[in-house]
Amino acid sequence: MGIQEQYRNEAAELLSSGAVKLVIGYGEGSTSDRRRPVFIRSADETARLVLDANCIANLSGYLVPEGLLSDGKSVAVFLKPDGIRSVNILAAEAQVNPDQVVILGFDIDGGQASPLPGRKATDFAPLIESQKSTGLSTELQQEADQLELMSATDRFEYWNQQFSKCIKCYACRQVCPMCYCRRCIVDVNQPQWVNTSSHTLGNFEWNIVRAFHLAGRCVACGGCDRACPVNIPLRLINHRMSKEALDAFDHFAGESADQKPVLATFRQDDPETFIL
Amino acid sequence: MTRILLHTRLDDCLAAWRASGYSVLAPSKSHELTRFNEVQHASDMALDLVLPERTIKDHFFPQTEPLIRYRIKKHEIDTEEMVPPELKRIFFGVRPCDASGLAIDDPLFGWDYKDEYWFRRRGNSVIVTIACTSADDFCMCTSVQLSPDSTKGSDVMLTPLKDGRGWQVLALTDRGNALLETIPSILQESDAEPAPPASVPVKFDIDKVTAWLADPASFESHFWKEISQRCIGCASCTFLCPTCHCFDIQDEGDTYSGIRRKNWDSCSFAMFTMHTSGHNPRNTQSTRWRQRIMHKFNYYRGKFDVNSCSGCGRCTRQCPVDMGITETLQSISNLPR
Ligand code: SF4
Ligand code: SF4
Ligand code: SF4
Repeated sequence: MGIQEQYRNEAAELLSSGAVKLVIGYGEGSTSDRRRPVFIRSADETARLVLDANCIANLSGYLVPEGLLSDGKSVAVFLKPDGIRSVNILAAEAQVNPDQVVILGFDIDGGQASPLPGRKATDFAPLIESQKSTGLSTELQQEADQLELMSATDRFEYWNQQFSKCIKCYACRQVCPMCYCRRCIVDVNQPQWVNTSSHTLGNFEWNIVRAFHLAGRCVACGGCDRACPVNIPLRLINHRMSKEALDAFDHFAGESADQKPVLATFRQDDPETFIL
Repeated sequence: MTRILLHTRLDDCLAAWRASGYSVLAPSKSHELTRFNEVQHASDMALDLVLPERTIKDHFFPQTEPLIRYRIKKHEIDTEEMVPPELKRIFFGVRPCDASGLAIDDPLFGWDYKDEYWFRRRGNSVIVTIACTSADDFCMCTSVQLSPDSTKGSDVMLTPLKDGRGWQVLALTDRGNALLETIPSILQESDAEPAPPASVPVKFDIDKVTAWLADPASFESHFWKEISQRCIGCASCTFLCPTCHCFDIQDEGDTYSGIRRKNWDSCSFAMFTMHTSGHNPRNTQSTRWRQRIMHKFNYYRGKFDVNSCSGCGRCTRQCPVDMGITETLQSISNLPR
C-alpha cells in the first residue's frame, strides 16, 4: 500500500471514529505538479487527499486561526519534519495545545514521500534531535557564504536591490506559521510604529522587523521564500538568523514544546551584561 | 502587403526612439525578477516570456506615490503638490492582457474625478503590444472576453511573423501612428505571414458567472466560505494584478512636516475597510474574497460595463496556496442551477 492510500485510510478512520473533527492535508492543484491545502471533514471526502513529493507546503499555520481548537476537539494535519517543529514552537508559545494535534507525518526524499512513525509531536523528538545534530542546511549555507564573501558595501547594495523589489504584499508573513500575531506590528496604526509605504526604506523596516521576529523561530520550511512574488531570497535572511541562534545559544527552533523562545529568555550565566 | 519590423532592426528602432526623446521600457530580468525596466538594447529585452512577473500597471500607478509635501506652521499649513513628471515613454513588448488592464482602469481613474497622477503618465506613454503566440496553463484571457491578440489598450500592435524574423506592425491610435512616423525607414513592406495566435482554452462561462453574481441570493451563499477556506489573506494576487487599483492615503512624517502618500491597498488584508470604531463590514477572509470577485465581475461591470480582469492569470500563477480567480469562477460556473 502506498503512503497516499495508507494516509487516506488513516484519515478516514480518524474522522469516522470521531478522534478528530478535521483533517488538514493536500489535494490536487491547478497544474499537475501543484498541491493545495484541503480541509477534510468526513470520511467519504478522504479520496481528495493527495500525498506525494509535491506536498511541500508547511500546513501548521492552519492550526492557529481563532476558534479552531477552542472546542477541545482534535485536528489531524499532514506535516513534514519542518512542520512538526513549528507545531512545537506554536505549543511552546501557547498558540496550540499539542494534545489536540494528530500529526500525519511524512518526509520527502529522493522524489518520494515516505511515512514517519508517530502521531504526537513528542513522538518525533528523536528525529528532530538527529536533525539538530546534522546542523542547518548545507545548501543554504553555501548560498549564504557567497554573501559573506562580499564587502559590507556590496552586501548592503545587494539587499538594497532585493528589498527595493518588495511590494509589502505580506505573503511572507501570511504564509508563515510563526507569524500568527492577530495584529502585526506593521498593521498597528495608533500609533503608526512602522510606515505602511512600500518604498525602499519602508521595505527595509518591514523585512528587518520580520527577520528579528523570526530569529530562533524559523524552521526553514521555505514557505515565505516560495510565496514572495518578487523573488527576494528570504531564505538567506532566516538562515542567517537561525545560524546565529544555533551558534550562540545552541538553539534549534522547534526542538520540543518546552523549548524557551530564544529572544524571550535570559540565562543567569549569560556573558553579556546588556540585554536588548 | 503590411509593414513589418525585423528583429535585426530593433536596435535601430530603439536608437531612433531615443533620438525622438522617448525612453523605452520592456520586459527584462533584473535582480531575479522579470518586470518592465528601461532598456538600451534589444538584447536587454526578454520578449519570449509568456508574461513578466510584474505588470506595467506599476509604471502608471506605483505601489507608493508622494502626493503632497506639507509643513504645519503656527497659523497655517504650507503644502506643495508633487506631480509626476510628464515622461515620453514607450512600453515595448506589452502583452495584450496587460495593455487591456490599462484600458480597463482608465474609466475608474477618470470617472467622478480625473486622477492626474494616472493620466499624466498615461498621456505620454505609448503602448506597443506583442500578440501572444504561446500561453501557459494559467492564461485565461479568452475566458474574460479578451484574446491573445486583443488590441484593447494598445497603441501599436505587433504580430509575430510565422518565419520568426520579426513582427507585422499595425498602428491603432494617433499616438501609435505618431510613433511609427519616427521610424519610417526602419519598417518595410512585406507579405510575410503572421504566426497564429496562442490557443488559450476557455475555462469558464463568464455569462453564467456574472448572472450568478448579480443574483442577490448569491451574496450570502455558503459557496464563499468553502472556496476561500485556504486563503491566507496576503496581497500577492491583488498587487500583481494589472487591474486592481485600491489605494490608501497615508501621511508619513512627524508632527510638523511630512509627505502625504498614495499607497496600494488590498481587499485581502484584514485591515481593509476596518472602521475607526473597530467594526469591519468584511471581517472574515471569505467576505473579503467575495468582495474581490464581486468587485471585478459584478460591481465594476455594472458601473463601467467591463470586467475588472484581463485574464493574465497572475493571481493563480503566484498564489502561495494555489487559489485565484480561475478556480473560483470555474466553480461558480459549475454550480448546480
Ligand atoms: S512576500 Fe516578498 S514582496 Fe511580499 S511583503 Fe514579503 S518580502 Fe515583500
Ligand atoms: S520564516 Fe519562512 S521559512 Fe521560516 S518558518 Fe516562516 S515561512 Fe517558514
Ligand atoms: S484578477 Fe487575476 S487573472 Fe484577472 S487580471 Fe487580475 S491577476 Fe490577472
